[in-house]
Amino acid sequence: MTRRRQAATAWLFLTPAVLFFVLLFFLPIGNQLLTGLYDADGVSFVGLGNFSRALSDPEVLHSFLITLLYAAGTLIVGTAMGLGLAVILNQALPGRTLFRSVLLIPYLTSVSIVGLLWRNILDPQVGILNRLLESLGLPGQTWLSTHPLATIVGITVWSGAGYTMVLFLAGLQGIPGLYYEAARIDGAGPWRRFFAITLPLLAPTTLFVSIIGLIGTLQQFALPYIVTGGGPGNATSLYAHRLFIVAFNDNDFGYASALSVLLLLVVLVLSLLQLRIGDRANA
Amino acid sequence: MPSLDRRSFLQLGLGVTVLGAVGTACSPATPAAKKQDARTFTIYWNAGHGYQAYKEVIDQFGKDHDLQMNWQKFQWPDLTTKLTADFRSGNVPDLVEEVSAGTGTQYGLAGNVLALDEFAAADQAFGFPGDFIDQAVVARQYEGKTYSIPLHLTANGLVFYNKELVDKPPTTWEEFLEIAKATTKDKVSGTALNADSSYSAPFYSQQKVDFSQVAGKQFMMPADGARTALQYMQDLIFTHKVSPAPVATTDYSGPQKLFSAKRAAMFVSGPWDIGPIRQGSPDIDLGLAVPLTGAVQASSMAGAGLMIPAKARDPKLSWELLTKLTAVKTELAATKEAGMSMPRKSWAADPAVAADPDLGTIAKALAVVAKQDVALSASGKAAQIAELWKKAYQQMIIQHAPVEQTLADFRKQAGAAL
Repeated sequence: MTRRRQAATAWLFLTPAVLFFVLLFFLPIGNQLLTGLYDADGVSFVGLGNFSRALSDPEVLHSFLITLLYAAGTLIVGTAMGLGLAVILNQALPGRTLFRSVLLIPYLTSVSIVGLLWRNILDPQVGILNRLLESLGLPGQTWLSTHPLATIVGITVWSGAGYTMVLFLAGLQGIPGLYYEAARIDGAGPWRRFFAITLPLLAPTTLFVSIIGLIGTLQQFALPYIVTGGGPGNATSLYAHRLFIVAFNDNDFGYASALSVLLLLVVLVLSLLQLRIGDRANA
Repeated sequence: MPSLDRRSFLQLGLGVTVLGAVGTACSPATPAAKKQDARTFTIYWNAGHGYQAYKEVIDQFGKDHDLQMNWQKFQWPDLTTKLTADFRSGNVPDLVEEVSAGTGTQYGLAGNVLALDEFAAADQAFGFPGDFIDQAVVARQYEGKTYSIPLHLTANGLVFYNKELVDKPPTTWEEFLEIAKATTKDKVSGTALNADSSYSAPFYSQQKVDFSQVAGKQFMMPADGARTALQYMQDLIFTHKVSPAPVATTDYSGPQKLFSAKRAAMFVSGPWDIGPIRQGSPDIDLGLAVPLTGAVQASSMAGAGLMIPAKARDPKLSWELLTKLTAVKTELAATKEAGMSMPRKSWAADPAVAADPDLGTIAKALAVVAKQDVALSASGKAAQIAELWKKAYQQMIIQHAPVEQTLADFRKQAGAAL
């Protein structure tokens, strides 16, 4: 078979995937970019006007800032929790399979259900948590009003910790037991073994978890929309929620498209940066 | 005939599949699909208004016209989102419930819903606008065109009270505060404010405050009245502690749920909360009182309408269903079922309505409805400004932000948006 025929065959097999990505990803992204160059009615060409407007829009800057805080909080706490759970459940404990399964359930549950569930738990007046605290003689909480962003971070971590744990478990099971044995013979304690063996060898998993986590958190929309509606005020109006308001409430699809393109750029840059840092650390 | 080896066979098969898939994607809809579509009549409706009275009318309409009735129900924010996307794509429903007066005008001026005056003029038996209460009609008109027909007519500002806890309902702000203080005990709050910013309207209207004066690009004026109203509401929570701070959600039923759970003695709302309380907590002796008097007695107008998208497949058919859904017979059936108040004069004159004490109270509230600024809807910025007000209101009521400064910030932002 000639090389040309081989290439033609390869292209033929690749065509469905290429078509899929072009039609469902690249064309919409291109369309989005184009829409971002027009005004709210999609009639007048405004060039980069929508993009420069975003950079001086206090609502957008606020939403971007709290999204970064949300992403940082979720990534740090979520990764630490997932790793901690993985290390614990990697031990030969009785019932560990059951615990692993139970911890994965929140991740497998629809975000709408998670949101409604926590809204009902945390509601200060009719929520289950305050009823429980009341029955124990403890003061009630009003976290949805006093610490709304931290509450959304907490719910996200609760929901995603099981998945992070599974990823770290896979990473832990790839570390040869020989290393730990040698370290033990050399007198290394549990903490020393964790910091000298486990953590460095989990670097690729940590990198993967942080990139996936970052992309997910920067695009977070559903949870604050369901739990707090972006409030109180604009305390939980994350970037994607702001974008939604601009598109579907303000009816300004040109500006909303520009905002979504900017989000894509931010996610790309931060992900590349993370990959770079990861590569250097692994080198 | 040449024999096919396995690779050639796969190549051929894949090629046919790809060509078929691309061909299908690029081809127009088949006549069969079109035929099926043409027999489907789609209605967007609010999830809280899915009364049996309407279902019966819709089902009968489907049978009469051999149509598959696709009655889709949403919460208001989701309905708005879906409708906006539909208007963009051109794939619209046949009839839509309008969230409140003015929304249809906003869509109509953008060319997305039809002006209905010609249909109404050609349909004398329908009785529009003559048989409809003026406020409900005027709020839906702009420059001589009507973009929606009133479905319900209600007023926000009624005082709901538990007769076991409150002997005599309050009539003024001072009495409201006094009773709220007296009834705040243990787990019961004297009242409960709503996280939904539209529930502030009765309070600021009672201080003669206009939400907007588009002509002068002014909002929440006069400023003194606005400050008094919002400060009063804030003080109920943070100074007098007679109301819990509401929780920011997209749900407006928080105070009603507290009242139904006997954890609030009073709250301010509209007739839509009568049904859930009567059905969910029949043991509560519910009292309903007329709107409070601040500087004046006032309520804010509420109530859904019906509108026909400009690209609806058969607007005449949509109009026909609209007239059946807003007929006095249907109105009376919906009132009997859910206690909802309606916009027709002939409905108000019906003996069953006139004899109902709750409806009598609602009628008194409707008589003191504050005027709406129709120019705000016509500006196309009503939703954007409502979102800004939502933010400001929650900052004051939930986050305890200083009232004067927050109102000033809102005025500035709303003016800029306009």
